[in-house]
Amino acid sequence: MKKMELSRIIYCVALTYLCFSAANAEIINKNVERVLDLSSQLVKTTYKITAEETTGKPIKEYVFIVTEPNLSYISAKDGLNKKVEVQKIQEGGASNVFSYKLTFSSPSSKQSIVIETVSTKNILPHPSEIKQNDKQLVKFVGKLYLYSKYSTSTQKTNVILSSSNILSHTQVKPFSVSSNKVFFGPYENIGAQSEDELVLHYENQTPFLTVNTLERTIEVSHWGNIAVKEDIQLTHSGAKLKGSFSRYDFQKDGRSGQSAVKSYKTYLPASANGVYYRDTNGNISTSNMNLMRDFVDLDLRPRFPLFGGWKTQYTLGYNVPSYEYLYSSGNKYMLKMHLIDHIHDNMLIDEAVVNIILPEGSTNIELITPYSVKRHQNDLMYTYLDTVGRPVISFSKQNLVENHISDFTLKYSFSKVSLLQEPLLVIGFIYIIFLFTIVFLRLDLSITSHSHKD
Amino acid sequence: MTVVDTGTLAGGAASKAKGLLTWEKQEHLVKLAILILAAVLSFATRLFSVLRFESVIHEFDPYFNYRTTRFLAEQGFYKFHNWFDDRAWYPLGRIIGGTIYPGLMVTSAALYRLMWMLNITIDIRNVCVFLAPFFSSLTTLVTYALTKEIHSTGAGLVAAALISIVPGYISRSVAGSYDNEGIAIFCMLFTYFLWIKAVKTGTIFWSAMSALAYFYMVSSWGGYVFLINLIPLHVLALMITGRFSHRIYIAYSTLYCVGTILSMQISFVGFQPIQSSEHMLALGVFGLCQIHGFVDYLRSRMPKEHFELLFKTLVSSLLSVVVIVGTLLTLTGKVSPWTGRFYSLLDPSYAKNHIPIIASVSEHQPTSWSSFYFDLQILVFLFPAGLYFCFSRLTDANIFIILYGVTSIYFAGVMVRLMLVLAPVMCVLSGIAISHLLAKYIKSVDTGSSKPATESKRQHKKLEQQSGGVKSEVAIGFVAIITVMLIVYTFHCTWVTSEAYSSPSIVLSARSHDGGRIIFDDFREAYYWLQMNTPENARIMSWWDYGYQITAMANRTILVDNNTWNNTHISRVGQAMASSEEKAYEIMRELDVDYVLVIFGGLTGYSSDDINKFLWMVRIGGSTDRGAHIKEKDYYAANGEFRVDKEGSPTLLNCLMYKMCYYRFGQMYTEGGKAQGYDRVRAAEIGNKDFELDVLEEAYTTEHWLVRIYKVKDLPNRGV
Repeated sequence: MKKMELSRIIYCVALTYLCFSAANAEIINKNVERVLDLSSQLVKTTYKITAEETTGKPIKEYVFIVTEPNLSYISAKDGLNKKVEVQKIQEGGASNVFSYKLTFSSPSSKQSIVIETVSTKNILPHPSEIKQNDKQLVKFVGKLYLYSKYSTSTQKTNVILSSSNILSHTQVKPFSVSSNKVFFGPYENIGAQSEDELVLHYENQTPFLTVNTLERTIEVSHWGNIAVKEDIQLTHSGAKLKGSFSRYDFQKDGRSGQSAVKSYKTYLPASANGVYYRDTNGNISTSNMNLMRDFVDLDLRPRFPLFGGWKTQYTLGYNVPSYEYLYSSGNKYMLKMHLIDHIHDNMLIDEAVVNIILPEGSTNIELITPYSVKRHQNDLMYTYLDTVGRPVISFSKQNLVENHISDFTLKYSFSKVSLLQEPLLVIGFIYIIFLFTIVFLRLDLSITSHSHKD
Repeated sequence: MTVVDTGTLAGGAASKAKGLLTWEKQEHLVKLAILILAAVLSFATRLFSVLRFESVIHEFDPYFNYRTTRFLAEQGFYKFHNWFDDRAWYPLGRIIGGTIYPGLMVTSAALYRLMWMLNITIDIRNVCVFLAPFFSSLTTLVTYALTKEIHSTGAGLVAAALISIVPGYISRSVAGSYDNEGIAIFCMLFTYFLWIKAVKTGTIFWSAMSALAYFYMVSSWGGYVFLINLIPLHVLALMITGRFSHRIYIAYSTLYCVGTILSMQISFVGFQPIQSSEHMLALGVFGLCQIHGFVDYLRSRMPKEHFELLFKTLVSSLLSVVVIVGTLLTLTGKVSPWTGRFYSLLDPSYAKNHIPIIASVSEHQPTSWSSFYFDLQILVFLFPAGLYFCFSRLTDANIFIILYGVTSIYFAGVMVRLMLVLAPVMCVLSGIAISHLLAKYIKSVDTGSSKPATESKRQHKKLEQQSGGVKSEVAIGFVAIITVMLIVYTFHCTWVTSEAYSSPSIVLSARSHDGGRIIFDDFREAYYWLQMNTPENARIMSWWDYGYQITAMANRTILVDNNTWNNTHISRVGQAMASSEEKAYEIMRELDVDYVLVIFGGLTGYSSDDINKFLWMVRIGGSTDRGAHIKEKDYYAANGEFRVDKEGSPTLLNCLMYKMCYYRFGQMYTEGGKAQGYDRVRAAEIGNKDFELDVLEEAYTTEHWLVRIYKVKDLPNRGV
């Protein structure tokens, strides 16, 4: 009897254990291929993970852990190139470790996942101050192995660098170097949550530009125009310039100041017109515009070359016709535009604030964004011929990269009759002036008798 | 519109044309059309620089005005009035509210506020840029009113048309030239108009109005001194010519009393109207007015012999009292001695001999003859004719315009800048001349052949009634000549405006070999670099010319600026620039300088750079006690020339300014076929090429080397 009891308890415990482990313990990463692109200022990582449930149960959920700080963007696809839902798991504790839950739409015992992440500010200039003629060297510190909840059978890491000038890198065999690529692995049977450092110190002369703040203002007019204005504050966040700047060297010597940013390209929508580029002191006369087939290529040159630590600030604005972005049916309108737009290649935006100014009299405003944003209070703005003010929708988001360029949707109602309000206001005003003049000229307010009669 | 026969016109004003409009209405329409056209034209012709470049503030002083206007618009009047500016004149600072004429800033800030109230969300910069053209439109209208009061409607219309495009006035009122003069000319002419009105009517209303206009003028420009001397001069002339009457007594007494009290409300003017000798003529004439009035009263009440005795006693005793009191006040310092700027008006060589800082400003130079023609063209020839016509029919108002014309032509000859005061009266008198001449000859021309004088026809009915003495051919020829002259005038004015007065000077442009336009935007490049990449409280040393621009565009603290109120401080900066590196370092440490900015044109050929201004720095630097060791002759080569090549004086070749301008320039090839370090402005290969800077380091140099900024190194650590 006693024996029976015992075996029952054991059975229960085993069953519970089995139940728990069914969710995770049996999943292993069969094969991991990681590509680390460190050729710009961003860390772009692509993970190809083949996960397997050893007991043959279908995998519904997979937990993916990111250890890089400043993760800006993450997306995942399954083997059939279908998008996988990524959900952040709220966790206290460890500050730099975030877990994401991937939920598959078609569970199977063997899943192949492609995860893309972009993180910012993980490639740091080393040394942090250089002279004008020095090369900019940077250092990246990451994880040698995939930091995972599950154990990994075999994994490889390919690192792409910006140049073949590699000063040092982690030497865990097997590895090989060819030109600007470093291959690590394959490493076999790495346990879960193993932390080994991957350090790379190499030359990186690509522009290290940080957009500190971007304020994007979109003003919608129902007369057929949408005006876009972007106030941008830029800093060269690479190695700071040490000592003096020499214009002579900069002009005569091509090798001098290679990490300085002389110009960069901004792509605008193809229909952009009336482009202006200015700052508080007026127009910045050094820019070129090339009209391409499906975009406008703007070659912006700041007033001065940006060396490490130097800042600049400017305003870029343009108009686009509203028929490309504004859809309507009856009184219902829908605005569909990029939430942020391209500023320069491999851009990184610390904080973006987007203001959308709708025509006077717009109601029932509903905003749908492609990712979560921080909504600000709606505001009113008064400008030409306004009476009750134009509604301003405002929201912000931090740490953005190029992958965040996608459309928001803004739905609102606007009665077509109110379109006539402003012309009527002008007509009415002029009418009153004439009326007043007519009456005034015919009035005689003098107390004394008329003098012009005599 | 129906063609109306001149004969019918002469017949009577009430005669009605057959068409829709009566003669009176037609005249109205023509008048209105001409005035509106002239006003629009005067606005439009000033926009060359905006169209060619952009809506940007020009030159130097306007940047200060722009900065203060921005402050006023943002912070309100009380903050503005009490504004102590710690960004300028480090370490002294400057009380802005009490040391400027606030009229300009208040005007634009008021316009700005008004427009924002009406939800016209215009940028404050655009208000500033377009203020001067806007006010020149108003000037056009006011010129019409003034000339109409003085002479006739026809003359008024011609004068309005002339002033709308006269280069002498455009030079200071193009879009972007945001300076006091832009609105002051309007204020001045407006005051004159109201003054003439007051003289003509003798009512307190018009005199009080002219006092208010005078107040506006005082609040906007230091040139009000001219006005407050011209009006008493007019009264004095009327007294001498025996035209003094109650009307003039009322007009002047009201204007003087109200105007003086009002003008003393401007804190920059303060007690000057009753203390400084520049205002004494007005006070004296005010007293004379009272005496004249009193004497007239006595004369009407006394027998002739008694009156004469009394008159002689009174005159002699009064004169002695005036002389004694005047001497006493001057000796005790109550009446301030005549200021340097005013002396230099009377004696052109005064400033050059005594105050280098006044002489160093190009707009304070005497006017050359060619610039009279350049700025006024045919007006120069029509001016005497206008004067003649005024003399031929003297009235109280005519005497005024004669006095205005004669005095302003003298002052314009003394200082280029005062061409501005001359231009309006030139237009008024030329308007009178043209209108007079055309009116005389047009009646002999067949009707319908000449449009330009239509408006003046009616005013000269009297002339028409005299037998038309000239043959039709002569008349046609004459009218044709006048027409051609006016057309040429128009072309000349437009050409001068577009070529000479429409460059913003903050952006330079040049033609490249293939005909394209090259833009040199180096000034803004450098100022923006300063704003973005230097610490917020960095102190920048530069020659005073660039002070206003640096504070406005770079928002950094500067040592000296265009206000030039403290000669010693400017001299100190001049000494630093003229000294050797070690000496300069001491001065720079003393003044807490962080950055030094110089303008260098040697690479591009920009001739108004700091090396060309350098002799002024030496002179001003050497003009005070502490700079006594700096002597101008040390900076000349052995043969007495100022040169930067090997022949140049060693003092020059080793001074701070030279080193900052030519640092590493010795390695540059600037022009084909020339050696390294060839300076294109001085047309010489520089003499001192290979040197390093010990106490400075290059912080930034703009693309075309126009602006070079150096950082002052900290003291070295001990033992290093």
